Amino acid sequence: MTPKSNLAIGVIAAVVIAGSWHIDANPGEFVDGLPNLWMVAEEVAVELAEVESTMVDRAFWSMLETILMAFIGTMVGYALAFPMSLLASRNLTSRWVYVPMRGILAAVRTFPSIMWALLFVIMVGPGPFAGILAITMYTIGFVAKLQYEAIETIDADPMDAASSIGLSKLQIVRFVVIPESASHLLGQLLYMFDYNVRQTSILGLVGAGGIGFYIITYIKFLQYGKAAFFMLVVLITVLIIDWVSLKLRDRYVIKSQRGVAADGAI
Amino acid sequence: MDGSDGDPDGDVIIRMDGVWASYDVRNTTLQEINLKIKAGTNYAIVGLSGSGKSTLLKLMNGMMVPSRGTILVEGHKPDPQNKQFREIMSRIGYIPQSLGLVRNSTVLDNVMMGALPRMKPSQFLLKRYSRSDLEQARRILDRVGLPGKEDRKAYMLSGGEKRRVAIARAFMQNPRILLADEIVSELDGTTSREIMNLVAGMQKDAGLTAIMIHHDIRLALEFADRVTVVQAGRKVMELGVDNDEILDFQSGNSTTQEILEMYGDDPKE
Repeated sequence: MTPKSNLAIGVIAAVVIAGSWHIDANPGEFVDGLPNLWMVAEEVAVELAEVESTMVDRAFWSMLETILMAFIGTMVGYALAFPMSLLASRNLTSRWVYVPMRGILAAVRTFPSIMWALLFVIMVGPGPFAGILAITMYTIGFVAKLQYEAIETIDADPMDAASSIGLSKLQIVRFVVIPESASHLLGQLLYMFDYNVRQTSILGLVGAGGIGFYIITYIKFLQYGKAAFFMLVVLITVLIIDWVSLKLRDRYVIKSQRGVAADGAI
Repeated sequence: MDGSDGDPDGDVIIRMDGVWASYDVRNTTLQEINLKIKAGTNYAIVGLSGSGKSTLLKLMNGMMVPSRGTILVEGHKPDPQNKQFREIMSRIGYIPQSLGLVRNSTVLDNVMMGALPRMKPSQFLLKRYSRSDLEQARRILDRVGLPGKEDRKAYMLSGGEKRRVAIARAFMQNPRILLADEIVSELDGTTSREIMNLVAGMQKDAGLTAIMIHHDIRLALEFADRVTVVQAGRKVMELGVDNDEILDFQSGNSTTQEILEMYGDDPKE
């Protein structure tokens, strides 16, 4: 440890302690609140023991709606983000194009999805469509950055070879950019979908459809057991999607990256 | 401006007059280069690492811009932004030292890149190649010794095979000029001779002008009509073989064994 890093740790610790005091975050309250958690857990256990079939039905369909919302939002957002990320890549466009494009994307990225959802609930009314729009916007802002960063890491050699033939930008995108970044792009798509299912689960909080609507309603009416059951459904779904995307990643993403590594060894 | 006006060598395809080039302000890579390359010749550039050979090649297809002097390629100033020169570029095969293959694409897609300038968007966006392009690609792949490998991914190929793909891509352009940067330098003696024979044969058949950079002057003299020797950014000699004698056309002197030893690589076997 250098004196410099000791100082850094000291400063960080001081900010955490002083900040907690300033915003009135008292660890004692956490300890005092533990019995409340126990009460909730008891209630949840009772409720889970006698889950009605109508609840299972409701949970299933609202979860499916959530997944569909996330899927549509991810795909549409991803497709819209791609041309924008091409325009934001420093190795494809001039400064006059990529600087404003990056500005637009940064602005889109400043809103969390729940803010977009609020906005779209006002615009198109409550329901899943507002949620889809919110996920689409969030995906554009988030994934376009990942995409243009991946595009900028493409090897300059094939790009140079392509431009020496006199190819157009569109031809370079089709024949160099897409194949050379395909594994990254697929990885990002899986990651984004996975992340969006989780996000979409809470959009119901502001009336933008999906399973979150039930969760927030049960919490409001102090039916914690029912809320917990729906949250459990979300948890299981997310675990399944996680597992599936891991398999897909192994199958398609890792394999092609291994190919690249083997290529470097020749 | 036309390169041929009042020029006794009317068939000069590339000419450079007093060309200087540099990558940054402080260091000059090339100084005062003058050369004329006649159409149909097999021209070689030889020099040590860092002498500016690759830069000389990049000036010929507009991948680099000179800081001083004039360059004319088929009578036009190389400029990738210029639409007319872009058309000329589409007929200049360029094989960089790195080859520039798209690793995750198939051999066929890599080769087809040479034909892209003549394809319509509906063809290249969906990779729906025309029958004549496909036939030509297969013919060239046969010729370079890669028959039946069109669906292989480029990263799976050996070093020699990758070079053959890059050569095939260049010939898919129906080139009038071929620029090749040390395409045999890292190969063993047998393979490099094979590839040189292949390129020389294809060059003669197509009647194109080839400008190739070599590490080994002996290889250059064996295959080329003219050999320019570049030393520390300057063109110091232009050699050619005349009646079994190596002559320096720049000074008019016959050269000594010295130069062969200076730029001769021991053949790697």
